[in-house]
Formats: sequence, C-alpha cells, structure tokens
Amino acid sequence: MAKGKRRDPARGMLSVVMLFYFLAFMMLFFKDGDWRAAGLALCVPALIFVGVMGIPRLFPADKLLLSLTNFLCALGVLVLYRLSPERGFSQAGNYFVGVICMILCTLLVRYWKNWKPLIALMIPAAFVLLVLPLVIGTEKNGAKNWISLGGMSMQPSEVVKLAMLCVTAFLLSRRKTVLTILFVGMCLLILMLQKDLGTALLYYFVTLILIYVSTGNLPLIGVGLLGGAGAAVLGYNMFAHVRRRVAIWLDPWADVDNAGYQIVQALIAMVNGGAWGVGLGLGNASVIPEYYNDFIFSVILHEFGVLFGLVVLGVYAAITVRGVMIAMRSRTAFDALLSIGCAAMIALQTFVIVGGNIKLIPLTGVTLPFISYGGTSMVTSLCVIGLLQGVHSRIQAGVSEDKMLAGLEGGVK
Amino acid sequence: MKALRRYLKRVTAVLLLLFVLLGAYGAYSLHTYGNRWFASNVNTFARQKKQDVKAGNVYDRQGYLLAASTDNSRLYAEDAAVRRAMVHMLGDTTKNVSNGVESFMSVYLYGFRATFLERAQSYFAGVKRTGDSVLLTADAKLSAYASSLFPSGKAGALVVMNYKTGEVLCELSFPQFDPLSVTESTKQDPQKPFYNRAVQGLYAPGSTFKIVTALSALENLPDAQTRAFQCTGLLQLGEHYITDAGTRLEENKLTSHGQLTLRRAFQVSCNNTFARLALEIGDEQLLETAERLGFNDNFLFRDLVVENSSYPLKNRTDKEIAWTGAGQSALLVTPMHMCMITSAVANDGVMMEPMLLSQVLRADGQVREEFAPRAYGTVMTGEQSDVLKEWMRAVVTGGTGTRADIAGVQVCGKTGSAEKDGQEETDAWFVGFLDEEEAPYAISVVVENAGGGGSVAAPIAKKVFEYLLGEAAR
Repeated sequence: MAKGKRRDPARGMLSVVMLFYFLAFMMLFFKDGDWRAAGLALCVPALIFVGVMGIPRLFPADKLLLSLTNFLCALGVLVLYRLSPERGFSQAGNYFVGVICMILCTLLVRYWKNWKPLIALMIPAAFVLLVLPLVIGTEKNGAKNWISLGGMSMQPSEVVKLAMLCVTAFLLSRRKTVLTILFVGMCLLILMLQKDLGTALLYYFVTLILIYVSTGNLPLIGVGLLGGAGAAVLGYNMFAHVRRRVAIWLDPWADVDNAGYQIVQALIAMVNGGAWGVGLGLGNASVIPEYYNDFIFSVILHEFGVLFGLVVLGVYAAITVRGVMIAMRSRTAFDALLSIGCAAMIALQTFVIVGGNIKLIPLTGVTLPFISYGGTSMVTSLCVIGLLQGVHSRIQAGVSEDKMLAGLEGGVK
Repeated sequence: MKALRRYLKRVTAVLLLLFVLLGAYGAYSLHTYGNRWFASNVNTFARQKKQDVKAGNVYDRQGYLLAASTDNSRLYAEDAAVRRAMVHMLGDTTKNVSNGVESFMSVYLYGFRATFLERAQSYFAGVKRTGDSVLLTADAKLSAYASSLFPSGKAGALVVMNYKTGEVLCELSFPQFDPLSVTESTKQDPQKPFYNRAVQGLYAPGSTFKIVTALSALENLPDAQTRAFQCTGLLQLGEHYITDAGTRLEENKLTSHGQLTLRRAFQVSCNNTFARLALEIGDEQLLETAERLGFNDNFLFRDLVVENSSYPLKNRTDKEIAWTGAGQSALLVTPMHMCMITSAVANDGVMMEPMLLSQVLRADGQVREEFAPRAYGTVMTGEQSDVLKEWMRAVVTGGTGTRADIAGVQVCGKTGSAEKDGQEETDAWFVGFLDEEEAPYAISVVVENAGGGGSVAAPIAKKVFEYLLGEAAR
C-alpha cells in the first residue's frame, strides 16, 4: 500500500452498512417510541464497526468478508427486533458471542501447528455430540436434534458442522478418502436417526464437493450421487414426515389451512412485498409460523422487497466467492479444502433454506446462516467464517514471510 | 495443487449457479403465480390493507356500472336481473364465489398498484384512498338476456366470447343468486349456486368432443375426408357395446347410419364411426391433438381462473379409447374451455386466451393500464379449420343442430348429449359460432340433466346469436 492512498472497498461499504442500520433502527424508534430501538441504533453499527475494523488489528483479516458477514448478522438482529424486540435483543447477544467465537476459530487455525491429535479428538467428540440428542434430546418440527443443558438449549448437529469441516478437510488432504466416507457416512446415519434431514443433506453435499476437489474423481461422485438418491428414496418411504413435506411442496394449496399454511403464507408474504417491499415495520409477516427461523428470508422479502432479497442473495454469493478466493490462494491442500468446505457450507445452506422458502425445493428445517434466530446457528455460522479468516491470515503470514525473504535477498546485493 | 484449483473453479461455478437458480425461480414464480397468490383469500395482509381503501368501480364493456363503493359498503347493479347474471363473474365481497373479479382483481380495485406519489397525496390530503376502476369485456345486458333464456330450475353454464380477441362477453353459471340477499337456503341449495360452472364446472363434453376427434382424424388419416365408413349401430368390444343414440339393446332396437362419410358422421353425430375412428387414430395421437387444444394443460390465464381440463393418461382399454372418440369416458372439460376450442375453429386455427379485463382506470379517470388480446396458440392449420367449419355448418343446416339455424346467417355448431352416472337425462351441450365478419362470436352452452343438446341447448344459442346480430347491425 505504499503507492499513495488506494480506496479500500471494504471501508466504503462499511459506512453504508452502518448508516443503513442506524437509520433502520431510528425509524423503528420513531415508529414505536421504544428507547431500546434507539439503543440498538447505536450498538449495532458499533458492533459492526468493531467487527470489521477491530479484528484486522489482531491478525490479517479479509475485511470485505467481514463486512459482508456483519451486514447479514445485523440484518437478522434488525428483522428480529422489528417482529419481536425480545428476540432481537437475544440475537444481538448471540451476535456478540458469535464474533468472539469467530475470533477464537481464526486464532486456532492461524496458530495451531499440530492438527493430528486435534482431529483425533474431534472425531469421537463429534459422534458423542451427535448421539446426545437421541438420548436426552427433544423433538422439534419432526426432528429430534435439540438438547437442553441447564436451561440452555442447543443443536449439536450445528456445532458438529465445524468438526466435520475440519475432519474431512484434514483426512482428504492426506488422501484418506475411504476414511472420510466412513466418518461422514456414520454422521449421516445418526442424522437420519434424528430425522434431521436438512443438516444431513448439507453434510452430504459438502463432503461430495470436498471429495471432488481433492480427487477430481467424477465416477466416485456419480456413485455418491446415486447413493444419495437411494438414501432419499429410502428416507421418503421410511419417514412419514418426509412424505408430508414432499406432498406440501408439490401442492401447498391442497391444504391451505393446515399442512400448507406455512409455505402458502410465505409465498403470499413475498408477493405482498413486491419489488420494493411493504416497508420496515409495516408488514404482517408474523402470520408465518417460524417467521424468526425457517422463514426469516420470507420476512425480508415481505418488508424490504424482492430486489433487496436479491441483494441479500448477492451478499451470500459474494461471501462464497470470497471463500473460494481464499481457497485458490491457499498454499496447502488442507487450507484449500477447509476454506472451500466453509464456502460451500454457507452457499448450500442458503440455497436449501431459501429454496424451501420460495418453494423451489421441499422445505427442510435448516437455518439461514447469520440471519435466523438462534445462538447455535449464529455462533456456528460465524465460526465457519472464523475458519475462513484463519486460512486467510495464514496465507497472509506466508506472503509476508516470502516478502521478507525476498527483501533479505535484495539486501545482500 | 494445480488440479485442485481447476476443480475449485468448477465447484464455484456450480455454487454460483445455485444462486442464479434461486433468483430465476423466484422471479418466474412471482411473474406466473403472483396475482393468484395475491388474490387468494388467505392473504390476510391484503385483507387488512383493503380496509384503508375505498374499492374502485367495475364497469362492463358499455360502461354499465356493475359494482361501486360507498364509504363502508359495496354496492352492486341496481337491476336485479343484471345482478344475478353477473354474480359468478364478479364474485362478491363475502367470497362465496371464488376467484370472481372482486377478489381476483383486488390488486387494482383496492389500489395496490398506486404509485408512491398517489399514496403520499391522499395521505397528506387526509382522505381515504380510492382504488382503481376496472373495465370488463363483459356485456351485462347480453348476460341478463341470455340468463332469461336458460330453462328455469336447471343447472348449467353459458359462455360467449369474441373468437378473434378472446374477449369474454358472458360467463354465466346456473342457478344464479342475488348477492344482496344470500340466505341460509342459498347456502344449503343442493344445486350449489355459489359454484361458477362456466370456469369451475368439469363436464363430460359428450359429442362436442367430436370436433377434437375429427381434427385428429384430419391430421392422422390421409383419406379421412374421402373414405366411406360403415356404421352398424353397434360396435362390440369384448363384453361391451358402443351404441348410438336411439339404440336400445334390451329392446333389440338398433339405429344404424349405414355407409357414410366422416362429414356425414359428424353431421349426425354417429358414435359408432367416431368410436372406430378413435381406435384407428390411436390413443397417443388423439391425446396429442387434445393436449394441443389445451387438455391436461395448467391454465394460467391473466384475467380469470379456469379449471384444468383432463384427458385420461394411463392404462386405457379399447372400450375407454372408443368412448373417448365420442366424448365420454373420463374426459372432463369446462364450458369455457369448450368455447375456446370452438373459437379456435372459427378463428382459422388460432386459439385466443379468454380475456376479461380491458382497462384499469385511476380514481381520477386516467388510464393506468390497458390490455391487449393474447393468443393461446395456433392449434390447427387454416385448411383443417376450414374443413371443420364446413362440417359444423352442415350440423346446423342438416344435422343434429338445425334448431340453431338462422336464415341468411352462417351459423356453425356441434351438439352434444353427455351421459352422467346417476342422472336421468343427459347434459345438453351446444357449442358454435357465427361465421360472420361483423359478429365474430362463439358460444358454449350446457344444461345439466336436461336431454338432447340439439333440442335443449341449440335453441338458446340461436336466440343469443340473434341478439348479437341485432347489436352488430345497430
């Protein structure tokens, strides 16, 4: 950056984003006169500022990636606050904790040298966490994937995502394809038992992508896809709630008042929003059950409009691209696989839930990364970004080392 | 690492494609179904917003006021006959009738298309906003007149449209009711008066379907126009017999038409010949023709919701295929769709999409939107439509439809008498059109449980045609 002042694109975007949230929360403040909105109008932009400008002081970080992520997290807080202030506050807390965890993940990837024992620890831990809900879990929307510990409830399959990304990237970087398939296969089996099919779908596709990237073996991917199709047919025949979801997807209007109610209301909310939306605070999206979780994207479409919805999708696409760029610059196979895994996880999860919201595919209960209400989801999504940032900073460290070495050579002359 | 980067690029392309897919599908479904979702009666948001707006007026093609609003209620036409005739097309605010203009066009009537500026104006002026008015293609006077021709106490439907443009003039369903006096007995009526039979009623088309079979024969059999067919009055298929009207097997009474051409078979509506024809053409070819004419299609018309017609697809026996040729056997069609098929013959093979809305006017009278006719598709060639026209003319001049004939006027048509299980009489059908430049109208009439199409439905069509000719001459 010695050549004068080059404009930093992340910085310009940051000011726009901060202004956007300041104005949005102020609008809600003027609408309802609730001082908490005014408080958030200051806190949320501050949190974004710290998240984007503060973190790069700790280690080299991708600022654009940070500002995109923070934009989405704050959007979740905004939309949730508007529909239910309690949830908004709690989400702001999740956001804060998430940022801390993100930093921890980055530091882990940046400084941890010996991954082998860590991975050896992660595998059994992942299994234990996945099995827990089956033993002490509670059922929610047909899937048994939640556990409650001392008043706090969490979704282990979300946390295990992180372990799964690390383990598969590690095993594949050492060419242990069979072991990878065994590990993921076991995870998928447990997830199927929990009937958490959305998460199973994500694990499955991310693994396929990682196997493809590491081996380039298309026939193997073909076999994998066939196996997946077989499992899907099996799941369809085995679980009544899968058949119900598919039936609802094919024709939600057949039972508008009961089974199809959610998706029909989501579609109607979208069409009511139109291109420009009905306006922040002016909609009635709370008629959609699970508006704060599965259908939060429909709420965004309703109040902010389809064009804004496209922008949000664009942000997810940009995060994906940013992740891929980190993968491309990686110097080791492990780094590359870890970062593409993270990018693919975010992209696929977005596709699965947004596709479910707009009736492109059957609805599966996965969360919208960064935006959906819930601590586990928020923390995990931010940790995924943390892993990406870790790889990024490792690459940057490598680059500066090279530069230094080059400089030394220059000095000898 | 080099190979890895190459694979990475491919994976990225796939991931980005997923995002494109989301955007494209979202845009497509909003464009295709948006209005239907919006008009759905589970749209609570629109229902709430409607309370802030005074709904706009509804006019027919002559400017006759069909519906208007005061500050807190909705008014319908003063003339009770018009009110009753238009009730199914309009629907009412209580939503007893589904998908009427009042609900399906609520996006206009309740001002959801108003610009930001218009909204701001009425906000600052402190007045309740008035929605847009809609101008329909419908003709209220004709609708009231045609309703008076329908046999009282009977259920059925009547559709009139301009076959060159697809403008719907009448969309009548019987029995009718008065939207201003809906009582418990209206709701409990076994004839279900709320049901809009013109677009929701799925009927067996009976012999009117022979238009489709005949078209398929013209397409698939090179000698269809010249060949001599043999009608024995009875066609045995295993245990089953295909019979003609008039044949009573139990009385050993047999009506047969003897040797005849396809034109003659069409004219006298010979089941025997058309059953054989269907078997010869084959189910696949017949299905292809029917699907081109709109069977099994998901109708998504701009202005009105029409139930989908069906041609059965699976595991068909010879008996079923044979009966299909004569318009029975699980075929289902709405009177509106039958009118579209007839219109396609009249309009040289081009089927027009039915349209109901011609203009949307802002509260200050300015035109907000204007609508042009849209073609559904070209469903047959000009030569084929000419042949069918001539055959349909022959039905009226010397066949089953003579009671629709008007001296000096080119009336063309086809009758049908469709059997329905558990019903004493057949459903009487007549579909037809005026082959006249200044009066390009097609009609489709069905009277349930009433008898033969030629004797019951054709005379109604004749009277409607006479009215239309009178109007055209003025």
